[in-house]
Amino acid sequence: MRKAIGAFLAIALVAGVAAVAHRPGPAGAQGGGTIEAAVTYAGAPVVEKLKVNKDTEKCGTEAVIEKVVVGPNKGLAHAVVSVPGAKGAPKAVKATVDQHGCKFVPHVTAMTPGELELKNSDDILHNIHTYSTANPSINKAQPKFKKVMTEKFEKPEIIKLTCDVHSWMLGWVAVMPNPFFGVTDASGAAKIENVPAGKYTVEVWHETLGKQTKEVEVKAGQTAKVAFEMKK
Amino acid sequence: MIPPLGGCRVARGGTGRGGPARPDNPGSRALAVSCRRRQFVPGRAVVVALCLVAGSLVAVPSFVAGQAGDAGAGKVVYERKCAGCHGDKGDGKGPAAELLAPKPRDFTAGLYKIRTTANKTPTDQDLFRVITEGMPGTSMPPWAVLPEKDRWNLVAYVKTFAADKFKEAPKKLELPKDVAASPESVTRGKEMFEAIECHKCHGTEGRADGPSRAELKDEWGNPIAPANLTKRWTFRGGPGRTEIATRLANGVLGTPMPAFLDSVEKPEDIWHLTNFIVSLGPESPRYATLVQVTATSGAIADDPNADLWKNLTPSSIPLMGQVIVDPRNFNPSIDLVAVRAVYNDKEIAFHLTWDDPTQSVDEPAKKLSGDAISLQFPPQITAGTERPYFLMGDSSDAVYLLRWVNGKGVSEATANGPTKITPIAGSEATGKAVYANGQYRLVIKRPLASKDAARPTFTPAVFTPVAFQAWDGGAGESGTKMSLTSWYYLRLEEPQSNRRFVIPPVVAILTLAVMLLVVRVANRRA
Repeated sequence: MRKAIGAFLAIALVAGVAAVAHRPGPAGAQGGGTIEAAVTYAGAPVVEKLKVNKDTEKCGTEAVIEKVVVGPNKGLAHAVVSVPGAKGAPKAVKATVDQHGCKFVPHVTAMTPGELELKNSDDILHNIHTYSTANPSINKAQPKFKKVMTEKFEKPEIIKLTCDVHSWMLGWVAVMPNPFFGVTDASGAAKIENVPAGKYTVEVWHETLGKQTKEVEVKAGQTAKVAFEMKK
Repeated sequence: MIPPLGGCRVARGGTGRGGPARPDNPGSRALAVSCRRRQFVPGRAVVVALCLVAGSLVAVPSFVAGQAGDAGAGKVVYERKCAGCHGDKGDGKGPAAELLAPKPRDFTAGLYKIRTTANKTPTDQDLFRVITEGMPGTSMPPWAVLPEKDRWNLVAYVKTFAADKFKEAPKKLELPKDVAASPESVTRGKEMFEAIECHKCHGTEGRADGPSRAELKDEWGNPIAPANLTKRWTFRGGPGRTEIATRLANGVLGTPMPAFLDSVEKPEDIWHLTNFIVSLGPESPRYATLVQVTATSGAIADDPNADLWKNLTPSSIPLMGQVIVDPRNFNPSIDLVAVRAVYNDKEIAFHLTWDDPTQSVDEPAKKLSGDAISLQFPPQITAGTERPYFLMGDSSDAVYLLRWVNGKGVSEATANGPTKITPIAGSEATGKAVYANGQYRLVIKRPLASKDAARPTFTPAVFTPVAFQAWDGGAGESGTKMSLTSWYYLRLEEPQSNRRFVIPPVVAILTLAVMLLVVRVANRRA
């Protein structure tokens, strides 16, 4: 009887797993773990301010260039946490950057190779000027009537985004080789889910504070925590 | 150069070759060369026929290969002619580079401003063109003096500095279908100019005075000025319509100028914009050699925008940077002043128009000086060719200056050199200036006759030496950092009296009377 139940359960499990495996889901969903990164910076925030001499209805009268954003408990925002060594097919998710209030929103966008949607919700002229080496750099005007533009970034690389019309506008697009990445929020936290179990080097990148790496072991169904303290 | 070249391509059946991924075939160069050489052959048919023959000849692949530039030979020429600015390593850091703005091209980046391609790789012809024609408005001179072969060799050598960047074949830019210039097209172009906000950098009237001007940086972080669209002869890639349309469609690589091909409402708007830009100013400045001072019997308007001034044809005088005395001005901001002048029996008045993208007054805290301009004359107009030293005179021979400084107004001064300027007490000069959209217009007036030896008296029909100096305070110009001219001449036209309206009719009437008399006498005798 016990044997029968055991066999039944085993069959049910296999069938269930097979069903899950067949369903198109995020890569590495099966038996994956989670990485929770906490990125901190002990230094002071770096903010530059600039008087705006045009488009003040859209841009405000003072432009704030936030080079280092430090939140509560020294949490560092806008840092890209990634697991370069993990294997997984890129998600087909279109990343979006909006030019809003003469800022790139979000300030840092992480995406897998593919298309990036560039929005202009400001109703004024912006120009998308990228600085890149692996991907062709672009400098395209996006006048007020051109609400959406789509650009392709095929190769992993961190790309600087600027607008020459509004020189304070600065954004970053992190094109990642795999879907295992996250961008830290205002509290400096980033969560990467469904990472296949294994030992990895986790990397963190910040536009002014540079890179750091740490070794992490990810176990299926568990959360691995990793803390980075960024330094100048 | 362009029309016969285009003709050749068509004659050769270039459409078959001209797919989007057309590599820059060295044959096309050879073809262009052979066509250009034959350009002075009279008759277009002959040219086309010759090009056909030449075209079929160079289409043979082995011949094509033989035409490519030799990088080794190019290196020799490069080190002799180019390295001074562009550096031995091609990184744009030659010994002269620090004095130049815009900076010399860094060839190692493989980024080229002037391309006819849709991708980053320029064609060999693009590079050859820049070497041959130079880049107007920059320190890059035209190198047409070099043998053509040397220039092709230079193209080959320059490419070696960024060989990996040239791995991608040039992809020809396909421009939308040409729209000929017409008032409607210009109107549409202006509409688009406003819609795509060209004024942000280039200014409302195109004089490079837009609000983003001060923020603009090139790919290397150097400040870069937007083009003054009213001065087409300073366009880096040439003043022609196709060239302008190409820059609009393509952008200017390594600069803030973005590509607009996909960012106008309709593709043909590129041509409407082109036609509008062309309508903003002449293709060449048509520099004057003499300033005519027109005689008038009426009062002379103080207002620089008065109709009196609009009805006069200006004399355009080129200005150069002052590079004789330290501190020198290697990159002058003001390169042209348009002069109009009139006089009546009491006064002489000068109307000066010049572009200055920044309006500035003396602000010592910001290390800014006021914008200024001056007219220079010998203190006494003498017969003969002897004149004081053009750079504001010297210790033995002074000059007389009629000056205007923004915020301070007009004054008269005596100068014995650029640093020894003494104001003349009891200045009799007056003036009024207006500034709008990157341009100053100024009227300076003075009595025609002088009461003392420090100031000249202006006399009709006498060739009077005149020179000009200008300062753009916003560009950090003051003192010897100025733009200036050498001596020019101005001439007050002879006053035209009303006798010309009286004497000819009187003569005619008298003649008629004599004739009638003769006829009458003859009739009587008969």
